[in-house]
Amino acid sequence: MRPPSSLKQEFLKKWIMGLQRCSTVKKNMSILERKKAIKLSADVAMASARNGKTCWSRAIIANASKHGSDKHLVEKILGPESERLIAKKVSTGALCNNRIRSKKILKRSWGIRRTRKCAPQVALASFIAKWLVRKRTKVLKSLIPGGEFMNEVCLIEETLDYIISLRAQVDVMRTLASTSEIVNHN
Amino acid sequence: MSNRRSRQSTAGVSRISDDQIIELVSKLRQLLPEIRDRRSDKVSASKVLQETCNYIRSLHREVDDLSERLSQLLATIDADSAEAAIIRSLIM
Repeated sequence: MRPPSSLKQEFLKKWIMGLQRCSTVKKNMSILERKKAIKLSADVAMASARNGKTCWSRAIIANASKHGSDKHLVEKILGPESERLIAKKVSTGALCNNRIRSKKILKRSWGIRRTRKCAPQVALASFIAKWLVRKRTKVLKSLIPGGEFMNEVCLIEETLDYIISLRAQVDVMRTLASTSEIVNHN
Repeated sequence: MSNRRSRQSTAGVSRISDDQIIELVSKLRQLLPEIRDRRSDKVSASKVLQETCNYIRSLHREVDDLSERLSQLLATIDADSAEAAIIRSLIM
């Protein structure tokens, strides 16, 4: 995994590129429009810092490229590699498929045992536990971009990477917001 | 257990072991602020998933708030001030 500071630098560089592009395209934006532009640039910048290696980043790029007006922004941020990265499929195909076999292993590692003979309370508890895991896995899939294409193992790996990237994104944005506010008040 | 471990995947690619998965789950636990601070080793799977979802949702919300803040900041900046020029040249 890349060290956090270079990830942040990469993100900042691309985010600023995107923001400058937004402002040259449309001069007088409403607050809401500007907010959307800032957010979109940030998300695409975060995704492009991964260089097409993760499912979630490809999903973000694919979604952003769907709308004509946003596609140019995506291309600007991605730079010369944009054609290749936009065309990349969201589902990783072979990479995820060979992990499907580990579905059973994963379920077992969650500590859920299928016991044939056991007291009703234990069976009920185990049933509830299984149901909760399944339900929450669905929620997680809805939160990670491109999550609906992933099996459980892929999902956890993508989640790890996604959380790290989100944190970097939040840190950079927070720093920029606070310094801008300080500069503005002085 | 050993039978399952020795089973080859049809694509001939390396198998995922139990240990790898346990490692992934523990890495996830490390990232979550709530669970990391707790001493106990035993955290249920559903709890980990729940905390993960909550954490991601809160991060999304923060990004949204920060975008709002930045957008308003840029709108209220006094157009002619030197500070505005600094910020403008940096971002917009």
